[in-house]
Amino acid sequence: MSSRGLLLAIVIVAVMALVAHRPALAFDEERNFAGSAQLDYDFVPSEPGAVAAPGPATTFQGFTLESALKVAVDISDHLSANVKACYGCHGFELDMAYFDLRAADELNLRVGRFSPSFGAFNLRHDPANHMTSDKPLPYDMGRMLRKGDWYNGVLPSPFPTNGAELNGTHWIGDVAQLDYAGYVVMGFKNDTDPNPTDFNLQESHLPYYVTSDPRPAAGSRIALTLKAGDKSDMTLGGSGMFGTYDPNNRLTYAIVGGDLSLRVGRTAVRMEYLVRRQQMDTSNPDIFKYAIAPVGGDLFAKHGAYVEVEQPLTNALDVLARGDGMYRVGNVSNAVVGSGSDAPGYSPLSYESWVARETLALAFSVERNFRFKGSVELWEFSYADMAGREAELSFHLGAVGSF
Amino acid sequence: MRALALLVATALLGCGGPSMDPEVASASAASRADYDVFALRCSKCHSLARPLNSGIDDDGYWRTYVAKMRRQPGSGISAQDSVAILRFLHQYSIEQRRRKGKPVDSPALTAPSPAPSETGGS
Repeated sequence: MSSRGLLLAIVIVAVMALVAHRPALAFDEERNFAGSAQLDYDFVPSEPGAVAAPGPATTFQGFTLESALKVAVDISDHLSANVKACYGCHGFELDMAYFDLRAADELNLRVGRFSPSFGAFNLRHDPANHMTSDKPLPYDMGRMLRKGDWYNGVLPSPFPTNGAELNGTHWIGDVAQLDYAGYVVMGFKNDTDPNPTDFNLQESHLPYYVTSDPRPAAGSRIALTLKAGDKSDMTLGGSGMFGTYDPNNRLTYAIVGGDLSLRVGRTAVRMEYLVRRQQMDTSNPDIFKYAIAPVGGDLFAKHGAYVEVEQPLTNALDVLARGDGMYRVGNVSNAVVGSGSDAPGYSPLSYESWVARETLALAFSVERNFRFKGSVELWEFSYADMAGREAELSFHLGAVGSF
Repeated sequence: MRALALLVATALLGCGGPSMDPEVASASAASRADYDVFALRCSKCHSLARPLNSGIDDDGYWRTYVAKMRRQPGSGISAQDSVAILRFLHQYSIEQRRRKGKPVDSPALTAPSPAPSETGGS
């Protein structure tokens, strides 16, 4: 870990400890200290590290740990604060550090560092809040097979950034809930590559809390929840985000998505679709796999979707079946994105590529706050790896605890 | 090996292993109905362990938090739901206090009612 990262980690832990153990104040300030940790073992029999394309196209096999500590403080009826520090594949990261200033249920101002409102999954991104060890592919942040080929999902979750958001919720009687959010944030960046072709997610998710780029990204979300009865509800939402990611503010990205979730009793059915349309710097045609098309040659689109059904079988055992995938269309940069790697640039993707995955998962609670997770995943790719395989299997076995 | 098989079998049948909510099993039908609302709504975004193992046994605190959760996007927690959820948490807090040997006639345990802002949005 860099000295900057270590310093940040020490500061975060110290601040959280001080906040959590401060004596109660006279105005009944409310504090809630929570956390979670997940240890997961990913077994990939096909040894993708040995057969994947050269470069960063490997898979995180073996053990990975995701952990988080969160402090929520209700300072008054109208002001609250949240600080959440995570430790995972990127080292320490400040997932949340924001204040909510609420005038009414319908009008709340959020300022600080947070994941802006987008899609339905991000609310459940903590591993204690979903039944699988990994995330749906559109929100994948490095756990997928051949991750380097795809450079993560459509919108790797969580996606903390600095900015401000106005949001609110309004109930219409007892049967409908309307949510909205609009925000301006720092957004995704790549100010390290000479010819940016994609986000620098390493930079965005490491302690990188200042930028010389003054132009923010903007986005919004609206969702409607309808209650059909005492034991069922349905949420339909739409989200969008737009910004530029290069230092010269020329290269745009737009992410839009739609989501639908149904709950009937304890059965949940969820589906989401996202697409990211992004421009690339084509001023150096030599880094691209294909000749630059005169029209539309400077952009790619990455689509992603998932459908999942979650069903408790007993008080302790849940089963989840999920189908998800991504489809990418557009030119392919053979340069390594995000710099910092000496690996040779090479991408096995073609102009149109896809990946599909089917997952069957079980989650078994041995205590309220502790559960084991197991899943088997069948992966199918539109292209063969260096061993000629277009399909692979992976197995997850993990344990997650929360408090 | 036989013990492991028995553990798995009983867990799969739901009649052994970790009973998730033993406090609820012996509760009255009305309390179970409140628990059902609590379980249905609160499990939408997080495990029930979060509230149940939080150690909170103060109705005022619960009012604040249920109001906060109700404001979460897509929570589906209506004003009517929040009354049932608070009723369950009130009973649950009494049980927790008894187990800890704390007084149950504390001012912290008042009659459950939603926070004023909870009904304001309806």
